[in-house]
Amino acid sequence: MSYFLQLFFSGIVVGSIYALAAIGFVLIYKSSRVLNLAHGQIIATGAYIMYVLTVWIGIPIYLSFVMSMIITFFLAMSVERIFLRRLIGEPIISVIMVTIGLMSIIDGLIYLTPFGSENFSFPPFLPTEPIMLWGTYLSYTQVVGVGITIVLIGAFSWFFKKSTVGISMRAVSDDQMASMSIGISVPKVFGLAWATAGLTAAAAGGILGNITGLNFDTLHAFGILVFPVVILGGLDSLPGAVAAGIIMGLIQQFAGGYLDGNWGLNGTGQVLPYILLLVLLLFKPHGLFGTHEIERV
Amino acid sequence: MSANRWLATGNYFTTYREEQRIFFTHIDRLLFVCFLAALFAWPFFFEVSSKYMLIFDNILVAVIAVLGLNLVTGFGGLISVGHAAFVGVGAYTVACLARIIGDQHVVITHAWPLMVLAGGLTGAVFGLIVGLPALRLRHLYLLMATLSFQMIFQWVVGFMDFFNQGQFIYVGRVYWFSGEVGRSVHYQFWYFALLVTVVVLGFGVRNLLRTKYGRSLVAVRDNDRAADAMGMHPGFTKVSAFGLAGFFAGVAGAMQAYLNRGAGFETFTLHESIQYLAMTIVGGLGSLPGTFFGPAAIKMLDLQMENLAEWAGHILPSTMDLATGLRPLSFGLVIVLFLMFEPRGIANWWRILRSYVKLWPFRY
Repeated sequence: MSYFLQLFFSGIVVGSIYALAAIGFVLIYKSSRVLNLAHGQIIATGAYIMYVLTVWIGIPIYLSFVMSMIITFFLAMSVERIFLRRLIGEPIISVIMVTIGLMSIIDGLIYLTPFGSENFSFPPFLPTEPIMLWGTYLSYTQVVGVGITIVLIGAFSWFFKKSTVGISMRAVSDDQMASMSIGISVPKVFGLAWATAGLTAAAAGGILGNITGLNFDTLHAFGILVFPVVILGGLDSLPGAVAAGIIMGLIQQFAGGYLDGNWGLNGTGQVLPYILLLVLLLFKPHGLFGTHEIERV
Repeated sequence: MSANRWLATGNYFTTYREEQRIFFTHIDRLLFVCFLAALFAWPFFFEVSSKYMLIFDNILVAVIAVLGLNLVTGFGGLISVGHAAFVGVGAYTVACLARIIGDQHVVITHAWPLMVLAGGLTGAVFGLIVGLPALRLRHLYLLMATLSFQMIFQWVVGFMDFFNQGQFIYVGRVYWFSGEVGRSVHYQFWYFALLVTVVVLGFGVRNLLRTKYGRSLVAVRDNDRAADAMGMHPGFTKVSAFGLAGFFAGVAGAMQAYLNRGAGFETFTLHESIQYLAMTIVGGLGSLPGTFFGPAAIKMLDLQMENLAEWAGHILPSTMDLATGLRPLSFGLVIVLFLMFEPRGIANWWRILRSYVKLWPFRY
């Protein structure tokens, strides 16, 4: 039972980071219908910026967490400004292929830095002895990470529900033409969507980096796992992204805990989300909470 | 109607049949035949070291794979980021059979054209399976399907004992009528084998695009609802495009396995998939000449990047690994720049050049 609980809790931890990462992806998709394939690379960039600020420059860790979010905010905004702004009006397929190109570019840039080949870990800033909870062990980093994630998700829900900017973003995602006619600048909203996505991505990257350490392969795999999460959540639903993130985290941990080592299986946690994704695409393509008005062929 | 079939300075089509011809003038055909003859003949006149012959072989393998990817992405309008996995399916078809029955077994070494075909068919089966969501969904979702196939493929090859956990699996040398193809002529032999395959498959694609199926594929890309209303089946068209792409990728993979004398994990990763996509975009989406320019351009770029990394390796500290970083960086840059500034790819330059020569001395 305690093994089950252990897996359950770590699933919640991983899942909440997935949720945070998926929010940014859904945001870009909602406002501009672009599947941002470079999202995982933005997550990795955020994590590395935080590491540079914390360890190489020596800024206190909470401050550097916020600063990395702000820097990635502007980085993502400039990516949108430089590469995607001039593609507005082009067929969506070429915009998506530009994000594939961006994914490759950022990969290459990270491989050129020491981060591409070596492993780094954040200095411990919380007590290292684990917390006992119903016979399971949790580290302080995990608890604080989940706490920050919940706070951020709450803040973003408020932002989209109540603030003027958030409402204009939702308006653009509903109908670009109508929102233009009432005076919303659609390109500005696209830029903001990318910037906010960068912000959440940096937060997810920072928390993940603190929990698992910085290894580019791990971060890369994590970034790609965002895609099954958003499909499960329904691509354009923020609550769906959160729910799907946690479900995916649980699936991964339980698969890793109960399937690995039996029947000659290994690393099932890495592959199960993709098998699920293929099955979902066949039978329930609009996911858990996605709008059903997806264009059928 | 211009009576002169040898030379025409403009388009004089009076029937649809005429417009769909592969060669518009006899000069076109003559030049093409001369070009093909030159491609077959030049290895006899120039001494080429194995290293450079291997580059030509790799370009031709990529051309076969990109022919398939261009069918899906260029003519079908569906992004595939799992093409390297389909190539891998073909390669592992050969490699796994070699692992089971022994890499010197007569089936592997003598019946290699059949093995290449088998690789293609296996690839087609996987392509059809991955393309199945196309029956219900539009292109955005198929991107996800191909991505998940890429990840599943990497996991299966990397973790299963049956695939030697991603380690290299050997495939024996093949036999030709003159006996075993030895080390010294290995790359020359495969140059000719690949060239024949490319010519056959290239004509196949060119003719396919003239048939009912090819035209309905383009129609579905341009507007699937209109195509549906005209009586085509968009889902079926897309699924079979994936099957065809899988076939081409499988053939490319099987030949690559024979060329490299085996299959290993690292040639079928997500980065390779992006490289295939870069070839398609650089060559020109939805253009048959583009499928030949793209792989050539990208492989040359790849070679230059390797040289640059080697040169820089003398200057920079040895801890920096330039080669692994420069390749994705350059491919990504090429994809982005071409999509932003020349979305129709190198094939567009070729088109401009052709029309310039054709209309010369007039401007238009």
